[in-house]
Amino acid sequence: MAELADIANAVIRDEIEEFLERPDEIERNVALFARVRPEMQDIAAALIEGDNHTVDALTAKALEEGTEALEIMDDGLIAGMGIVGIKFRENFIFVPEVLACARAMKAGMAHIEPILSASGVEPIGTVIMGTVKGDLHDIGKNLCIMMLSGAGFDVVDLGVDTSEDEFIAALEEHGAPIMGMSALLTTTMPNMGKTIEALIDADIRDDVMVMVGGAPVTQEFADDMGADGYGKDALSCVALAKKLMEERG
Amino acid sequence: MPKISQEDYQQRLDRLTEIFADIVSHADEQAAHRCPYRDARDRCTAAFSCGNQIPAVERGEPATCGHDGTFDYSLAWETDPATRERAKTKLSAIKRAAAARREGETLPTGPGTVSHDGKTQPLAIGMTLFDCADELAVEVPTSCQRNGRCHECVVEVSAGEAALCARTEAEGFLRAPYRLACQAIVERDDIDVAFAPLRRRPRILVRAHADAAAAPKVLDPLVTRRGDDVLYNGEVIDRYRGHVLGLAVDLGTTTVVLDFVDLETGKSVHSAAFENPQAFGGSDVMHRISYDRDDKAGELQKAAASAINRAIVDGCARLGTNRQAIYEIVVAANSTMRDILFKLDVQGIGQKPYKSSIEHAFLAGERANTALSARALRLGLRANRAARVYGLPLIASHVGGDAAAALVALEEGFADAETAMLVDMGTNTEVVVKHRGRMLAASCPAGPAFEGGLVRYGMPACDGAIEAVRLSEDGEAAYETIGGKEPLGLCGSGLIDLLAELRRSDVLTAKGVFTADRKQREMTVVPEQGITFSKEDASNLGQAKAANYCGQYIVMRALGVDPADVECLYLAGGFANYVHVRNAQSIGLLAPVPEERVVKAGNAAARGARAILLSATRRHALEREVQAIEHIELETTPDFFDLFVDGCQFKPMPTHLVPEGTAA
Repeated sequence: MAELADIANAVIRDEIEEFLERPDEIERNVALFARVRPEMQDIAAALIEGDNHTVDALTAKALEEGTEALEIMDDGLIAGMGIVGIKFRENFIFVPEVLACARAMKAGMAHIEPILSASGVEPIGTVIMGTVKGDLHDIGKNLCIMMLSGAGFDVVDLGVDTSEDEFIAALEEHGAPIMGMSALLTTTMPNMGKTIEALIDADIRDDVMVMVGGAPVTQEFADDMGADGYGKDALSCVALAKKLMEERG
Repeated sequence: MPKISQEDYQQRLDRLTEIFADIVSHADEQAAHRCPYRDARDRCTAAFSCGNQIPAVERGEPATCGHDGTFDYSLAWETDPATRERAKTKLSAIKRAAAARREGETLPTGPGTVSHDGKTQPLAIGMTLFDCADELAVEVPTSCQRNGRCHECVVEVSAGEAALCARTEAEGFLRAPYRLACQAIVERDDIDVAFAPLRRRPRILVRAHADAAAAPKVLDPLVTRRGDDVLYNGEVIDRYRGHVLGLAVDLGTTTVVLDFVDLETGKSVHSAAFENPQAFGGSDVMHRISYDRDDKAGELQKAAASAINRAIVDGCARLGTNRQAIYEIVVAANSTMRDILFKLDVQGIGQKPYKSSIEHAFLAGERANTALSARALRLGLRANRAARVYGLPLIASHVGGDAAAALVALEEGFADAETAMLVDMGTNTEVVVKHRGRMLAASCPAGPAFEGGLVRYGMPACDGAIEAVRLSEDGEAAYETIGGKEPLGLCGSGLIDLLAELRRSDVLTAKGVFTADRKQREMTVVPEQGITFSKEDASNLGQAKAANYCGQYIVMRALGVDPADVECLYLAGGFANYVHVRNAQSIGLLAPVPEERVVKAGNAAARGARAILLSATRRHALEREVQAIEHIELETTPDFFDLFVDGCQFKPMPTHLVPEGTAA
């Protein structure tokens, strides 16, 4: 049976020792990382620490050295993210740290994507995401982006305080079939409607499915503003995006 | 590179989705008791300003989350039905407007308009005043993305408040006619609305004096440079960043003037002036004091600090540097304005014996003087992290550091004369008379009438203000406006001219009644712009004038001085330089000192603050000097009421104040 000492990377050893409490999870992770090559452990460790630059550099280096993309995903990125999920569940880290890890994951995946498309595996679709004009809240949107990327969508994040023009420019640049808007304030929620009107004015409303979400937004409100879909939370976001892709045909 | 099959890839995605789904559902649960922007080290990671943030002590560090986790955090996101209703109204207005635009119709606006400073725009239901300001290209300050948190977008609604929604919770600290532009939503489009942000830019007064840009006579600032080190009082506080700047601030009740000074050369390098944004807490110090308590305590401090910060950021950008180059801030202000800025309790200044807690402590022997000093960081002012803020010492009671600063600015002239008088005219006028070695000061609560408040068409000295008026034989007004712009109203000097002219041509009696018809309520001044002048305006100006009158009268008399004895009368204050002395004397606003002895001293307080910023010696001397100035409480004078009633009349002050045989 594998032991903690079999794991080469000190960070991973410490993480398992310090934060994992359930015996089955300890056993599974010790066995996993004891098997994993040190280079992949380094990627996992950097991801756990939310260090996107290191994940970026190490992934590029591993691919250059001939490591298979699937090994990097399994043993580096997903293995690391598994620890992050447990630490979050046990309240050792919180949403901002998780989002930093997700960002690190994205940095690694960016190197895998060209291999995927070379293999003929295409993303399900591209989604443009942004918090509307006047609103600086981004956690809900970022959790949605994490879910969407995890489900195989290619996500373009426009960040917070996004103007109508920025949404339109991104749609035109990426030809995205789906656009997601988020608002956390009742006062900025109407700006979603304003953006939809701007899409009509720019004559691109029919090219894109618009989904909206955020704490004050309701199905009724989404209908009023003329959105195609409403997501109650980040969990429902992926199913909604998939449904909208189908509807669009 | 081996290819990846769709199935292999999908397997990984499923595994990831499983992990992420757990994360997202846990995040959802957690949001009920812990803010999702709060990280593992309890720091706030939000890009917006949150009411729970505790600012970091060290510059550049993130704020800490101050939320105690005892309530359901998600409730904070719930919105009340009324707010939701307003959002819906706004949304439908957006949709209507867009549809109309596409149909090529004109906007579905009502007959009402929204206007600012002469520019007008049709009113549309659902817009906030902030939206209106955007359309009218009016700059309104904000730092919270318009969500009602930063309280910076205060606007004064001068007409049509009924067209706007009821005050929201975020506006609880405001009373009529003030609103937060981001919260006030147009609900009716059949009324004309007019508004103005609280920070119009009045004519800059510090530049009025040629010496402002010149090097001062004495230059021994507390902040100095030695090679690559910047020192405060001999101690190294920073490395040299290319500039060593100080800020002299004249924090007036109505107007704030900032002077950026190069501490190495002593020259002024930039200046800025704006209306004091605390106006929502009342226009005079007594109202500000009664505002600054209970749940509203601190609002006024925040308003002043953020306005000063805005000017600092802007000024530093113009100078090609940043706030780190500002090492000291010197503030000249009356007792109330100073103590509010220094986060002190000002309630004591509002009630007998009208003394600041600092003055009480000084009188009790607990402090050596009444000057204040605090870290800029603690006061929320954006300067170098080691920068200190110095509040000039008080003279007594309401006569504060601004009067002390004015005396510093006048220095030689005042010191050399046997009998001299300073009248620093403002919302709170200070009078200091010097006679044979004695100095006596008084504070006159004039109120803001001569600075644009309480007078229907009164306004500060901004572009478009009528600053000079003459009436022709047939009663028509010939006027000059600041900047040669279309007239919007009258500023202090214009109001003084108007009163004097109305008296000269006998249109108005000394008691402020129209001679033609005693029941006449108002008269037209500029027919084209509909600018009028009413009996009520005259009455408010009369009372403001009476306060100035009593101050000069009582202080001179107490020292046994008649106006003719005054060798030099220094007229200081925001609009002092634009006042026609003869007109001011003819209505009794200014003592009848022979005109050639009246010296217009402009913004003496700002210049004094600058001198104190530039000289540690002068600063220490002033801290002692003010202690020798006597103070007289106007209201305690036995015949104060009679004098006040007399002072309300628009007629000259008597030439003899000292009873026969008692002259000193």
